[in-house]
Amino acid sequence: MNFELTEEQQLIGQSAREFGKQHLEPIAVELDHTGTFPKAVVNGLAKHDFLGLLLPAEVGGAEAGFVSYVEVIENLSRYSAAVASIVNNHTIAAYTIQNWGTAEQKKQYLPGMAKGEILGGFAIYEHGPTPGVGANALVAVKQDVGYVLNGKKAFVRNAGEANVYVVFATTDPAAGAKALTAFIVKADAIGIKIGEKLETMGLKGCPVADITFENVVIPENALLGAINEGGAISAKALAVASVAEAAQTVGIGQAAVEHAAAYAKQRVQFGKPVATLQAIQTLLAEVATDCHLARLGMQNAAVLIEEGKPFEVEAAMIKSFLVRLGSKMLLDTCQVEGGFGYSEFMPLPRMFRDIAGTNLLDAPGDFPEKLIAASIA
Amino acid sequence: MAGIFVFSEDHALAGQLLTPALELKKSLAQPVIALALCEQDAKALAALGADKVVVLQSSGKWVEGFAEAVYSQVKAAEASIVLVGGTLRGKHVASYVAAKLNAGMTTDAKALRIEGGKLLATRVLYAGLAVCEEEVTLPAVATIRARTFLAPEAAATAGVIETVNAEPDARVTVDEVTSTSSEGIDITAATKLVAVGRGFRKKEDLKLAENLGGVLKAELACTRGVAEDDHWLPIERYIGISGQTVKPELYLAVGLSGQVQHMVGCRESKVIVAVNNDERSPIFEAADYGIVGDLYEVLPLLTAALGK
Amino acid sequence: MPKCLVCYKWTLDEQDIKIKPEDLSLDSSRAKGKISDFDRNAIEEAALLVEKNGGAVDALTYGTPTVKLSLKDALSRGPEKAYWIADASADAADGCVTANVLAAAIRKLGQYDVILCGEGSSDLFNQQTAPRLAALLGLPCLSFVNKLSVEGDVVKATRKLEDCMETVTVKGPVVISVLSEINKPRIPSLKQVLGASKKPNEEIKIADLGLKPEDLQPKAVRKSVKGFVMQRKNVIYKESSAADNVAKLKSSLVSEGLC
Repeated sequence: MNFELTEEQQLIGQSAREFGKQHLEPIAVELDHTGTFPKAVVNGLAKHDFLGLLLPAEVGGAEAGFVSYVEVIENLSRYSAAVASIVNNHTIAAYTIQNWGTAEQKKQYLPGMAKGEILGGFAIYEHGPTPGVGANALVAVKQDVGYVLNGKKAFVRNAGEANVYVVFATTDPAAGAKALTAFIVKADAIGIKIGEKLETMGLKGCPVADITFENVVIPENALLGAINEGGAISAKALAVASVAEAAQTVGIGQAAVEHAAAYAKQRVQFGKPVATLQAIQTLLAEVATDCHLARLGMQNAAVLIEEGKPFEVEAAMIKSFLVRLGSKMLLDTCQVEGGFGYSEFMPLPRMFRDIAGTNLLDAPGDFPEKLIAASIA
Repeated sequence: MAGIFVFSEDHALAGQLLTPALELKKSLAQPVIALALCEQDAKALAALGADKVVVLQSSGKWVEGFAEAVYSQVKAAEASIVLVGGTLRGKHVASYVAAKLNAGMTTDAKALRIEGGKLLATRVLYAGLAVCEEEVTLPAVATIRARTFLAPEAAATAGVIETVNAEPDARVTVDEVTSTSSEGIDITAATKLVAVGRGFRKKEDLKLAENLGGVLKAELACTRGVAEDDHWLPIERYIGISGQTVKPELYLAVGLSGQVQHMVGCRESKVIVAVNNDERSPIFEAADYGIVGDLYEVLPLLTAALGK
Repeated sequence: MPKCLVCYKWTLDEQDIKIKPEDLSLDSSRAKGKISDFDRNAIEEAALLVEKNGGAVDALTYGTPTVKLSLKDALSRGPEKAYWIADASADAADGCVTANVLAAAIRKLGQYDVILCGEGSSDLFNQQTAPRLAALLGLPCLSFVNKLSVEGDVVKATRKLEDCMETVTVKGPVVISVLSEINKPRIPSLKQVLGASKKPNEEIKIADLGLKPEDLQPKAVRKSVKGFVMQRKNVIYKESSAADNVAKLKSSLVSEGLC
């Protein structure tokens, strides 16, 4: 059993770290303040092949594998989890097209997505009880020319900036979620109304908004996968996404513990650096431990994804772990830094708000514990 | 083997090299031979105590082109030590000579002595993180930076001067030499310095530091970013690992964080004072005295207080 | 179409080196390896030259057996092929040994138009390799270069010295050392990282270099290495009133005889 990354994976992580240091670190604070989509940075990511990381070489991707991917996400998240979110949202859309798209669909979208010329978004959630159910559920009605979409999608990531969305709609309101079907919808389709950008607690700069579909006509070949396959597709995609989000959480946690440790070595109270005080040592140790174990769990799930093996239980476990302990990493590191951990001119408060977001996002199954329990009992 | 050689194209530095050379002479009992590029420099070096000064005369003016001539002199005398002024040109020449001699070379020695028949030099490693002692078998080459030593007092008897011809290095054509030193200030000579970092928001704000420098009678210095990135001050005022090294009586660091790459250039200052609004800045660990506060508030108050 | 060779060193990242408080000795057990900072600029400059003029870049490195970890890193930054010499002698190698080994390897590899080095290594910063190599190979050396161009077999460079900028021209093969300001090394894209494993690397055995044992004996030996620790008074004034702090500092400066 080898716990070490391969040379390639290490070098890819190093490239991501260098990119983060050079391009993300200088803009992270401003991005958090303005929430303005960082177009230049996203273009830079594209140039370094980060946006096509998982895609095969024949469409212009780097074909690097999922473990390399989470290495990138973790390292980018150390500097700006918001930018890492943009990459994640785009990548999960590309991943879905790559795995369920027809040859034509892949040819139409993936080369552009690999180059970052086409940015992807993912529209699954709704305000109703579950996607496909409720008054505002997104409904796709089959017609001669293709499908007509009506309804509303909630919390769409990369909303407004994406050029193409992977969208889930029910083709039969009576069947609701069981008839959930995936479609590829171009952002410039007539009738798409991007709602007001949501003011989120953290991960600012990664746009989130509702999208209303008013008689949006999409062609026949916009169907992604089979009719009624949307449930299975979204479940798989969200499970994969949750591992990538765990990588974000680990990246944020790592940055936080390094920052707090450096602070504790400098801050002198009672005649010596606070890093020598047991209370501080305990906090730092717990955070470092949780982060380390979370990384191992996340990497384990990533390896399984890369090897095409069942991974949902492992993904659920790391999700469950981080829902419980992810934010604690930031609660504790803020505590270490005392007043500075509460001051917005320092990075921890931003990280605190960001990590609350990475833990909230997608999950395998309805909720992770259900899946885990089902696997053992 | 006989001869402790001294060479620098910078005549002031060449004079300073005579101090360690004359010290080594006591241990080795060998003559101190200086190499000069013109008659005038030679006379000065002879007066400071070199036993012999050899003027290398050449039609070429490129300093690095004299490396072969330096080597010939050193080889002919079977020198045991070659001290070269640690300018960039000097390091180029010294390395060439060391290679031709198949000799060891210690770069930027801070102290030198003979021990057990070898040259023992003290120098800095890992971007200033560590200090080490390097033992070099003879013949040994060493570069020494300006102002590491002070030039000796004038000698009782001046040394002899001779002239030899040196072939220029025909392979390299010097097209143009553009002087970059403006103002001619030498901050390494200042006894007090006020150093500014990027805590200052704009160029005009440096006036606060200038005012303080005025009442303290201190020169202005800065970190790399202020000189090379912002271009608020000329490069001669930049203190750090690839800039100047200074040893003033007072080094007052304002709005700079005190990273190793900067501090290695000023950490031998007698008294270091810091003004910074971030209590966690490494500069406070490196300071004798400091104020945690906003420089925009502190500097005018300090200037007023010291001006009385 | 210049044939370029860039020499680089695999060093310990000095940021990871810790000073042990008990005896000030250095603990590099957790230090990761990296291509020396200035050598990255040299590699980048070689890559830029080739992008502009055609030709190809080879990389050459001499280090302890860990040097194998550097190959993919180097190959992801532009060179087409990496030559490496891995030998325990590298650990204690001084400027003399390093230059002897590299020069012998270069003689074996054949003619290069431009041989690039960083101005010094980020760990020891001896700043000797390029001029030493030039002396041993009988080539001219242009050191401390911050701008470089090649036209046919003519090399033009601008050297940045303490008090001036010097433009020089050399015809034919030359050894060059570059300053860090000459360029900004690219962050390897993922394709470049993955492409590195497809590029060739070749080991050169030190025994095949025809060196005498004394050529591998360092003439400069590090005897004692101690962490530099600042011993300062650390009297920091942080009252809430700036005026109070200033008054206290003034009396401290007066007591030091500085004003």
